[in-house]
Amino acid sequence: MSAPRPRLTALAVAVGLVLADSSIVVLALPEIYRDLDTSVAGVTWVLVSFNLVMALAAVPAAHLARRIGPGRAAAIGLAVFAGAGLACGLSDELSTLIAARCVQALGGAAAVTAVLELLPATVGSERRAVAIWATAGATGAALGPAVGGLLTELVSWQSIFLIQAPLAIAAGIPVLAVARHEAATGIVATELRETGRPHLLANLALALVSAAIAAALFLLVLLLIEGWRLSPIGAAIVVSAMPLAALLGARLGPAAGSARARAAAGAILVAGGLGGLALLPKAEVVLTLPPQLLVGVGLALVLSALTETALAGRAPQAIHGGWTISARHAGVAIGLIALTPLFTADIAQQREDAIDAGTAVVLDSRVAPLLKLELAQRIEDRLEGERGKVPTIGPAFEPLPEDPGDRADTILLREELQDQLDRGATHAFSPSFGLGALIGLLALIPIGLARRVDL
Amino acid sequence: MTGESNRGTFLVVCAVVASLALVGAYLAAGGSSYTPAKTQNPCKPRPWRSPEGLEQIAQQFSLSALDGAACELGVSRETLARALATPESRERFTERYEISDAELARAIRAGLLRAVDDAERAGALSPLLAGPLRATLRQIPLDQAIELINNAQSLLDNLQGFLGPAQGLLEQLLP
Repeated sequence: MSAPRPRLTALAVAVGLVLADSSIVVLALPEIYRDLDTSVAGVTWVLVSFNLVMALAAVPAAHLARRIGPGRAAAIGLAVFAGAGLACGLSDELSTLIAARCVQALGGAAAVTAVLELLPATVGSERRAVAIWATAGATGAALGPAVGGLLTELVSWQSIFLIQAPLAIAAGIPVLAVARHEAATGIVATELRETGRPHLLANLALALVSAAIAAALFLLVLLLIEGWRLSPIGAAIVVSAMPLAALLGARLGPAAGSARARAAAGAILVAGGLGGLALLPKAEVVLTLPPQLLVGVGLALVLSALTETALAGRAPQAIHGGWTISARHAGVAIGLIALTPLFTADIAQQREDAIDAGTAVVLDSRVAPLLKLELAQRIEDRLEGERGKVPTIGPAFEPLPEDPGDRADTILLREELQDQLDRGATHAFSPSFGLGALIGLLALIPIGLARRVDL
Repeated sequence: MTGESNRGTFLVVCAVVASLALVGAYLAAGGSSYTPAKTQNPCKPRPWRSPEGLEQIAQQFSLSALDGAACELGVSRETLARALATPESRERFTERYEISDAELARAIRAGLLRAVDDAERAGALSPLLAGPLRATLRQIPLDQAIELINNAQSLLDNLQGFLGPAQGLLEQLLP
């Protein structure tokens, strides 16, 4: 069998890789939408399908791991995950992409739950194993959108999936040694005792907090790309503040307080960060950084604390780990399904309001009437050209008038108009971020109700 | 255990303080009012901004006419302004709101008549000129009515040409 250190790295990478997949395509959705010529509701299922299948398959996959052995289950899971990733990358239709995503989630569920059975033997401590497993998962989920955005812009959306195949295979190589050992000896290295039912309150809190975190990531990415017109790579750089903050939060660890205190503090920070995003006072990227800091630190605290709580004193770890995976992904899927219609309706309404406000600015401006008429026609053309999106209005003002007075008035008008559009785009996301904050705060109820959450 | 409990309490207090500080700071910076400006109800009278010269009067006249027509159609002034920008945008507008050309023409004539009323009330148009102008506006076809809204100055220029020798009088009628 391979040495513990490379195997530990491989197992952590496997968990991070699979759990990053719940959010990695967020920044690629606009590209997939255009490339596969589909609807907004349809393309959302590229994200939702993966999370739903993970939620449904995690516990059965954990039972499978116990039956055939975690080494074999992890190896098979990673192979299926890699193969389905290739199929995703080669898909040229939405239906085949969604089907491949479902298969990918099945493989991912098997790998992630089986890894939890393998980790204690690798690191020598059940508690440390759980902490590593939870941290790898939280880091992967937080890093997902940034990595996905970089790959989409630098290569293509297909590369997000294609690159996962060699990574999953590399992570599976150390696991194969365990699988071969299981096959040769017939010994299945799983915990035989079964103690405790699933921790209902911790898993419920995990679902709620995951829905809130999904809202933060998904909505922030859409705000940056669709609302503020950043490129995928620009948005990826901005949202990387969240995983960086998560790494900071992960350093706090158990020394920062009891699991209940860390879970409560994390949920409060996630809700506070979402509250800040709901109240952005200007359309400026830098203003998203303090809320991201709070969400990032919060998610690291709350996800690890709740996962530890859900697994503490319970066996087999794979089954209870499966329940936490199920709760997290159900939360993400429900959050996306619940927030998408609200957000879609809001952005459509705010777009109309912003365009009306912008038109009022043009009508009431000091610009000469004939120039005003010409500008109105150019702006209408741009709105028609970018139907359904918040338009970039600058080109409608090109070329600027030669007369210095008209030129100054036109520049002022362009700025005022862009301000109205920015206001509309930013405000469109406020109710959804606000709802996300509320969901984050709701997680405090099961956290508070859990009597025995301290480890 | 007491130490862990104290650390836990401190952590929760820090989280609450950080969250409240962020939300409070963003509220204080105007986060709750960072919304697009509200458009005015076109049926409410909009005061004329002391117009000076033909160009300014023409602008105010157009805006009043847009308000009046939008009020008749039950849409915002801004929506109607965009609709009248090009023949294509007009077609999209009539399809979306299920408005016939006759209804649009009626609304625009009503808007132009309101503009004459507003101009007269604001002292920008003499009653001597307002009467014949109303009679003319009641008869004009849709395309010309739209042209008038888009470029009211042409109407006033035409009036100037029509009056010919009485240009001096027009200068007095249009302050």
